[in-house]
Amino acid sequence: MPALSSTMTEGKIVEWLKKPGDKVERGESVLVVESDKADMDVESFQDGFLASIVMPAGSSAPVGETIGLIVETADEISAAQANAPSPSPQSGGQEKESSSPQVQDKQSSVDSPKATVVTKASPAPLVSESSVNQDQFLNDGRIVASPRAKKLASQMGVDLATVRGSGPHGRIQAEDVQSAKGQPISVPWIAESNAPAKIVSDVPRIEKKSVDSGKPPAPGKSFGSRGETIAFNTLQQAVNRNMEESLNTPCFRVGYSILTDELDDLYKQIKPDGVTMTALLAKAVGLTLARHPQVNAAFSSEGIAYPSQINVAVAVAMEDGGLITPVLQNADKTSLTDLSLQWADLVKRARNKQLEPQEYSSGTFTLSNLGMFGVDRFDAILPPGTGAILAVGASLSKVVASKDGSISIKKQMQVNLTADHRVIYGADGALFLKDLAYLIEKNPYSLSS
Amino acid sequence: MDKKLHSVSPESGPNSNLDLTPQLAQSSSAFLFEPKNIVPFETALGWQKNFQKNLIEEPFSPQAVWLLEHFSCFTMGRGSDKKNLLFEENNSPLPVFSIERGGEVTHHMPGQIVGYLVLNLSLHKKDLSWYLRELEQVLIDVLDLLEIEGKRVDGLTGVWCEDKKVGSIGIGCKRWVTQHGFSLNVDCDLIGFEKIIPCGLDKVKVGKLSDWIPGIKVCDVTPLLRESVKRRFKLNWEKINQPF
Repeated sequence: MPALSSTMTEGKIVEWLKKPGDKVERGESVLVVESDKADMDVESFQDGFLASIVMPAGSSAPVGETIGLIVETADEISAAQANAPSPSPQSGGQEKESSSPQVQDKQSSVDSPKATVVTKASPAPLVSESSVNQDQFLNDGRIVASPRAKKLASQMGVDLATVRGSGPHGRIQAEDVQSAKGQPISVPWIAESNAPAKIVSDVPRIEKKSVDSGKPPAPGKSFGSRGETIAFNTLQQAVNRNMEESLNTPCFRVGYSILTDELDDLYKQIKPDGVTMTALLAKAVGLTLARHPQVNAAFSSEGIAYPSQINVAVAVAMEDGGLITPVLQNADKTSLTDLSLQWADLVKRARNKQLEPQEYSSGTFTLSNLGMFGVDRFDAILPPGTGAILAVGASLSKVVASKDGSISIKKQMQVNLTADHRVIYGADGALFLKDLAYLIEKNPYSLSS
Repeated sequence: MDKKLHSVSPESGPNSNLDLTPQLAQSSSAFLFEPKNIVPFETALGWQKNFQKNLIEEPFSPQAVWLLEHFSCFTMGRGSDKKNLLFEENNSPLPVFSIERGGEVTHHMPGQIVGYLVLNLSLHKKDLSWYLRELEQVLIDVLDLLEIEGKRVDGLTGVWCEDKKVGSIGIGCKRWVTQHGFSLNVDCDLIGFEKIIPCGLDKVKVGKLSDWIPGIKVCDVTPLLRESVKRRFKLNWEKINQPF
């Protein structure tokens, strides 16, 4: 029984939302507990199965009492049920007390004054396996780990038996190995999402770390040390040339806010098929460019050059400096799955510096996405030889009031087009963005057909 | 190579050990909505669900407060006892809604201000009985401004004036994100309460503010409630975009 307040000594189980034997997903509500006039949905903190209900609906239990058992696999249900009538958790078994994540927080943060109260109020053994400190964590024989995690573990000398897995069914991921070793977790540069990468919700964690280690969190990266001057690498030199050349181009910018709820829904549905957000955005841009050939065009000394293909280049920052723009050829005609596969391959080879010039210099339109960092808007510099580049920000929740007075929250993403005014005029850019917004807001499913 | 710039942790799911309990509420912001017209119950329920869902998914997305009036209806909590309905359920004089809150059956109608608060208690205090007492205090503070003495009754939740209950409270909470809130009877017709045992309390007498201040209207009380909620939960009201 989780503590819903510091003064709560017992709670009433209003309703079990799951039956014994039901599959339970992490974060899914398992039961409803009432204390006074307040109802709380109590959620499972892990994937598994509800093995048994110890305290039925309608009964009251003191805070800390075991009210039900959740096991990891269906096979363990019967074993857990055999042990179920005992009100105290069996030690060493797979049974886990069903309690809300919040309660674990309290249990593990010993310095919190509330935790003391909770402990006092709970004579029954409360410690579930998941409140055990990470350092002491031990897997019981069966180790499921990703290939990359296994490789990393052997390289770093980490015993996988001591690593808590955060993946599906506790599978150990590379990040778990890194965090077990105390290394900062790196995510790939090309985060496949347009959502802000939960940066805000990580702040408290970073602060906690900095208190623990006494070191301030690093604000960003640098390629050299203090006092040093580091020569530009080839890639950085190439970027510099392009950036300087762009100063000869008379550019203007035009922005638009696009609602992405529908796009996000589509993304959730097709993500299991390996479709990435980059592919979705490239396809949307490609299809819209097909209807707006002027925005796909570029300046040349002879006049306005209309390319024979629609090739969407996507900017990727390189970890050792510079950036590169791998190109998705014929983005308007290629399927989402193929675009996703091509993109994965291009990025992999870009990291290993194995791209052919044709693969990063044939773009007719460029996409630059900083949404994964939580950036809400920015503007991009036009790469020479092309007519326009689109800067894509994060999709963020906005409250919108509609004409009928109802109010709702919608996801909104700001995009900003930089264009060469010799080729593309304000109205061209505006119409392109309007069409792109229409496609993403009203007709995203046409992307997957 | 310093990778820290990229160290956006992948595991900020529901299970992450974020202890967001602050050293007691600093201010946070919320949207305030005061619909001018009477709102159907299910409409407001949808509004709350929307905000609650967003807050659960993103703990720093906006909180919201509504002060509004409903058309006449009854609502039941998940643990509510149907014995407190003094009519056949399938022959109800008014719509009955079963909702995710604590407490027994209650009654809404025009002339009663309903306050819904979708707050992330992780930003305030993760303690449901604290929250219920604070909601009572919101109402007591408003009554105080109106020079009516509001009081609690030991062991019960709600606000009483003399021997009549004028304010009711019932909330639901999911991952410390609240929904529902309070109701305060201003100048409503109380006849509907005769069809139920309000809050499951057999002998409870229900009152309204106009019993003490004849002529008082909802529009006189709403501004006081707005300020009281704002002060009690240290909220800043967000501006509302109206792009359409």
